Amino acid sequence: MSSTATTDRPSNVSEALARGRLGVPSVIFFVLSAATPLTVVAGVVTTGYGVVGVLGIPLAFVVVAAVLTLFATGYVAMARRMANAGAFYSYVSRGLGRPAGVGTAWAALVAYNGLQVGLYGTIGAAATPVLNRLFGIEPLWWIVALAAWALVAVLGLLRVDINGMVLAALLCAEIAIILVFDLGQLGNPAGGSVSFAAFSPENFFVPGVGAVLVLAILGFVGFEASVVFSEESKDPKRTVPMATYLSVAIIGVVYALSSWSMTVAVGPDRIAEEAGTQSVDLIFNLAGAHLGDTVLAIGQVLFLTSVLAAMIAFHNTTARYAFALGRERVLPAVFGRTSPTSGAPRAASLAQSALGLLVIVLYAVNGWDPVLQLFFWLGTSGGFGVLLLIATTAISIIAYFARSGEQETLWRRLIAPGIAAIALIAIIVLAVQNFADLLGVEPDSPLRWAFPAAFPVVALLGVLWGLVLRSSRPDTYARIGLGAESAAAVVPPASLTEPAPLTTEVR
Amino acid sequence: MLIADEFFLIAHNDIRGKAKLHPAATGLGLAAGLLGELILYGHITVTSAQVTVIDRRPPADALAHTVLDQLIGEAQHQAVRTWLSFLAQTAVTSVGERLARAGVLRRQESRRLLRTTVNYLPTDLNVAAWPATRLRAVLERNEPPSVPDALLLGLVAAAGLTREVLWSAGPRAHHRLNLIVPALPAPLKELVAHTEAAVGAAVLRGAL
Repeated sequence: MSSTATTDRPSNVSEALARGRLGVPSVIFFVLSAATPLTVVAGVVTTGYGVVGVLGIPLAFVVVAAVLTLFATGYVAMARRMANAGAFYSYVSRGLGRPAGVGTAWAALVAYNGLQVGLYGTIGAAATPVLNRLFGIEPLWWIVALAAWALVAVLGLLRVDINGMVLAALLCAEIAIILVFDLGQLGNPAGGSVSFAAFSPENFFVPGVGAVLVLAILGFVGFEASVVFSEESKDPKRTVPMATYLSVAIIGVVYALSSWSMTVAVGPDRIAEEAGTQSVDLIFNLAGAHLGDTVLAIGQVLFLTSVLAAMIAFHNTTARYAFALGRERVLPAVFGRTSPTSGAPRAASLAQSALGLLVIVLYAVNGWDPVLQLFFWLGTSGGFGVLLLIATTAISIIAYFARSGEQETLWRRLIAPGIAAIALIAIIVLAVQNFADLLGVEPDSPLRWAFPAAFPVVALLGVLWGLVLRSSRPDTYARIGLGAESAAAVVPPASLTEPAPLTTEVR
Repeated sequence: MLIADEFFLIAHNDIRGKAKLHPAATGLGLAAGLLGELILYGHITVTSAQVTVIDRRPPADALAHTVLDQLIGEAQHQAVRTWLSFLAQTAVTSVGERLARAGVLRRQESRRLLRTTVNYLPTDLNVAAWPATRLRAVLERNEPPSVPDALLLGLVAAAGLTREVLWSAGPRAHHRLNLIVPALPAPLKELVAHTEAAVGAAVLRGAL
């Protein structure tokens, strides 16, 4: 808007608003710090090798990075035309209709909650080595989880988003330590020679490929947030797309490299077994053996901060999702209110915290395994949910451009999202077939159907609710998908509900 | 008292002048108050999310005059949201200074570490507490509120300050509040709606 000003006179308004606009690096930092790479490398990848037992995880990261780049092409093109660009359900509302949008929103709430709550399962494993070093104690996992829960709950309410500079420093430290770990692993290959077996297609196209692809998707969750900054970026047409592509590329390279170097150090033939027994400790045991105790200690501390940062990031994502839905009145309006002093979406934040507490208590009381059954099951199921969201969004992008007739290149409006949609649907089919592998349960376990089925069931309920809204509350129905903008989108003419008339005298 | 002045007093503690509302919403609420004053006095109007100047004669109030001059001087910018964002950047200072000139507030600079922060302290508790008290009374009364009061109530709700004003009010007052915004004249109704949207967007961006 500002750049197309018709006068040559310098504009105070444009200049004042341009100050503090974000460039490509700022947006990348924001996206990557929510992606918390060390949580993925130390937590998800190691557990993934152990549970799924497929060597091709590095190749899966490369494949998913390619698919998401294609997806992002259409995604950023549509994002510029969207009111509530950060949320997948807005795209679905515009592309496939509002009932489908509500279904997507509900499924998204389940998926993001799964990702957030799952992290409480790994915080114990992350904190124990650090607490042991500092105080010589090894508390029960759920005591650590409850402490972390309290921290997240309070920070979520106070909305003390960790300072951007702190997050950026943590992110740089995380990536640096990951690369140091990688070098240590590559410098100490098992059997004396570096093996590229993990990138070989024959170790990828095996039973279980669907499971590792879901794991890879899980590692990229958070890339979708880049488009939130469309309005605040220096150049919406360039900054946000560039930041999105670069984020996906950086995440892909770091994860592929790290998961590969692990196989080099342990040996491709033994990685599944070693990861199975050592779980999250695998990468740290390797680092301790290769690089000494100091590097190990730094890595352990950063893993703890990384998991905490991931919890806070997903807590805020989930709370904002509920907030946007509350603003639209798709969820009760109370979710759309904020705490006056902090601006935190109070009810949404409390609801998310309540769910987290419930799950921690449930697992502690039943004595279920926190890393496998909480972190890995809920995390991968959440990742599967996000996979469904991305695929639905890809189809919505094609439908939106086909219906709206907006000017856009054929590549961005049809070909790229089309290829992405086909690839994503193929991944979904493989993932559903391999869900028992993904969870590490027997093929006839009812859980292998219960987890993936949760999303379509919830989505269907959401669609039904959308249809109810269409007939019973048309003004709410009209706002679906607009998020916070819904307040301004519907300014109905004189209300039909006999409002109190106003006296017009101006004091 | 002018709309933005009353909003300022409601959004700040009436004894120590501390902010009751987070900075982004305070700025947007005050910016909307400043635009609302110009709408009420017939200088500008808002239709289809655009601000249009309809009377270029200078308003009596100096700050309103400045804002109107800016609107006239930068006619290439018409979007309400642009003006809300722009005015929000300086609104706390400009409205705070206006209240200080009127003797309602006292400007106080304090140095903490390397930063100088400016606070506006109420000179008279009763004056500072009056807008919120009056709005509560307006909602309890049977007769409809005046347009300026209705606008102020709308902006208070849009900024998320409803509870601060209605903390002691009954369900009837809450119910009446819900009816007041839809009954506003169209330009003011739009202004309130865009303020609410801008505040919500700031929450979603985490940019507070």
